[in-house]
Amino acid sequence: MSDTLGNKDQNNNKKDLEQKKLRRMRMIRSLLPIVGLVLVFFLFNFLTDGKMMHKLPLAMSQVYVIMIASMGVFFIMTMGGLDFSQGSILGLSAIVVCSLSQYSVPLAIIGGILTGAAIGAINGYFYVNRKIKSFIVTICTMFLFRGLIKYLTTEALVAGSFELIELDSTALKVGCTAAVVAVGFVFFCFTKFGTYLKAIGAGEKAAKFSGIRTDRIKFLVYVLSGAITGFAAFILSIKNGSVTSSGGNQLETQILIALVLGGMPISGGAMARFGNFIVGSLLFVVLNSGLNMIGFSIPMMQLIEGIVFLIFVAIFADRKAIHVIK
Amino acid sequence: MSEVRLQVRNITKHFGINRALNNVSFDINKGEVHALIGENGSGKSTMTNMLTGIYPMESGTFTLDGEDIHPKNQVDANNRGVSIIVQELGTLSGLTVAENIFLGHEERFITYGFRNTPAMNAEANRLLKEYGFDFIKADDLVDNYNFEERKLIEIVKATYFNPKIVVIDETTTALSQEGREELYKHMNRIREQGNTVIFISHDLPEILAKSDTITILRDGEYIDTVKSKDVTEDDLKKLMVGREVTGDYYRSDYGEKVSDEVVLSVKNVTVPGLISNVSFDLHKGEILGFGGLSESGMHEIGKAIFGASFDREGSVVLADGTQINDIPTAISHSIAYTSKDRDNESVVLNQSIRDNIAMPSLDELSNNAGILNWGKIKKFAVDYAKEMSVKMVNTDQFVSELSGGNKQKVVLARWIGKGSDIVVLDSPTRGIDIKVKQDIYQLMDRMRKQGKSIIMISEELMELIGMCDRIIIMKDGALKGELPRSRELNENSLISMMV
Repeated sequence: MSDTLGNKDQNNNKKDLEQKKLRRMRMIRSLLPIVGLVLVFFLFNFLTDGKMMHKLPLAMSQVYVIMIASMGVFFIMTMGGLDFSQGSILGLSAIVVCSLSQYSVPLAIIGGILTGAAIGAINGYFYVNRKIKSFIVTICTMFLFRGLIKYLTTEALVAGSFELIELDSTALKVGCTAAVVAVGFVFFCFTKFGTYLKAIGAGEKAAKFSGIRTDRIKFLVYVLSGAITGFAAFILSIKNGSVTSSGGNQLETQILIALVLGGMPISGGAMARFGNFIVGSLLFVVLNSGLNMIGFSIPMMQLIEGIVFLIFVAIFADRKAIHVIK
Repeated sequence: MSEVRLQVRNITKHFGINRALNNVSFDINKGEVHALIGENGSGKSTMTNMLTGIYPMESGTFTLDGEDIHPKNQVDANNRGVSIIVQELGTLSGLTVAENIFLGHEERFITYGFRNTPAMNAEANRLLKEYGFDFIKADDLVDNYNFEERKLIEIVKATYFNPKIVVIDETTTALSQEGREELYKHMNRIREQGNTVIFISHDLPEILAKSDTITILRDGEYIDTVKSKDVTEDDLKKLMVGREVTGDYYRSDYGEKVSDEVVLSVKNVTVPGLISNVSFDLHKGEILGFGGLSESGMHEIGKAIFGASFDREGSVVLADGTQINDIPTAISHSIAYTSKDRDNESVVLNQSIRDNIAMPSLDELSNNAGILNWGKIKKFAVDYAKEMSVKMVNTDQFVSELSGGNKQKVVLARWIGKGSDIVVLDSPTRGIDIKVKQDIYQLMDRMRKQGKSIIMISEELMELIGMCDRIIIMKDGALKGELPRSRELNENSLISMMV
């Protein structure tokens, strides 16, 4: 009897060791994006003889829009959804921001946010009420609103007012981004909604049976994500001053790559970390501008980014949960 | 002494970091029903899943009639004379009955690359008739049949080719009494033909009644092989748990008067296709049981009370007049529910124990501005997990790493933490070992004494008889009758009302 007990203790010790190993693996996985960011940054600095450091502010000017918009998609992906309509949301909201800026800048900001929220509501309605998979719904709205953007910009680009363009300053852009991220951080990590989103991503039915109003939250998160990107359109507009037919083009893929580079699990759930989209959008922008500075052509850059994307997906995809993408 | 059919030698198997089986060796004879028992995680299913090609083997040998076998998959195992009937659904939706029966063995109907479907259907119909399942038609999609009927199809699928060994893995827990009887009949037939049944079940009386030999596993180790006629239920329990199981199993009181105070009234509740016009009252401090065949609609009663039914008519009203129509209202009015489908509806598998326990109580664990207090949450989860003695490393561990019994403890910890007064338990001990079962029964008894009201829906008649103040029997979606608690109640009195 005591013999079997001794055996059991040994087993438990072994189990503990293995558990520790598992946890170490998990930690390495969560540190990888940050290590990657630092490595890529130094690598490009080395390759470009420090040019990158000098051009850092310029590179960073690309980060704001991606980081803000990817926060909304981060919420969506945490609950197991996807959103491919972000680029179109950004483009259309930017048109609204530029047009309304002729009257008043605050009105323009509100208009942009409402436009984004409205498209988010359309996504949410078809996803939640009509029960269509989110990636199909958002691909549809992506095409629909891309069409509308092209229609609105056929004659000429839509230009923002002078007051709007005058606002362009690094302080404002950094301030706005930091504020949005800070609010998002509190929302995700210190209110019940963060836990709810993770629960929906990890097991929607069980989440529902724990008293979470899953349908309402899913709808609201799409609206929220649209609204956040609507706000990002304001930042984009003060930076660019106008919108063309390609405004916001490919933002959805950039966001997706950024999130995956940041270690976001594709199927969402409890392993989602708030830092995922922050590190990810920084990594994406550093990679992008680094490759650009080295002198790669755009097709070559896409090729390299595609390979990096694949590698990260291979590392971070939770194969057991992959079928739950909604 | 009968001839040895299967020699199990030095079988070891790991799942990642966990060792499921350690150097297990024993013999299984011809013409016997050989039961494999042990608590959850003792390695029973792992063993038979390797034997039938569902899991790859790691080390050790299976010697079947003198020949070593290493089944690569289920079809390979079938060809070697080993088949299995699994616990959950083992038929594939979207295929016909005949296609399911002959899955992986279609070659006998194929000529020049074309499948002779009429011949296959005719053969399937012949088999179904031989087994006495005439009401199942070979060319129907299996989707047209319910769970029980699909199990019957699986019996045909697993036994029509006279395999040397048929594994029946906890199939009976999911079956009604009627379905069980059908299964027992075929187990007997297989034995009489000189073949072997390996029978896995948590139901010890069933094991003792239906098997010849019993092998006990514990924590992946071989413990003993005994003859059924030489042992009692208590002996088996002792062997499985490794020590004496003391104290009462079910509650022991009889004749205690239940309060007249009604805490919940169900009035004319109908869920289309599942239950019709159900009305009853639940009293304070009462354990009200629901029994019936698994298709009787009794499982929907729990969902209807919890506001989780789709398209429900009628009303569920609390003593203070509150109508319960959705889950959040139910929870905020102190109703708790544990589902029969534990992994999908009760716990979020890929989430921490902490979040699972705290989820319904997050409002109470945050300040007025809605900001969560993580310190409180952690303490809350640890306290209630400890109260339920959940076996875990810490509360950060994912629920998916726990055994069935510990998952159920996490669910119960959540609702005890929430302080729910009306607790609806659907199949609370399904697939759970004796030790945890006893814990759950004792918990139910404590809750009852604290004035909480419990609804227990169960397919295990013994636990209904042992635990409930009243048992309502359901049939075809309607209430069939009601039995008060008494010493005289036995399974037969319930079964006669069920069928």
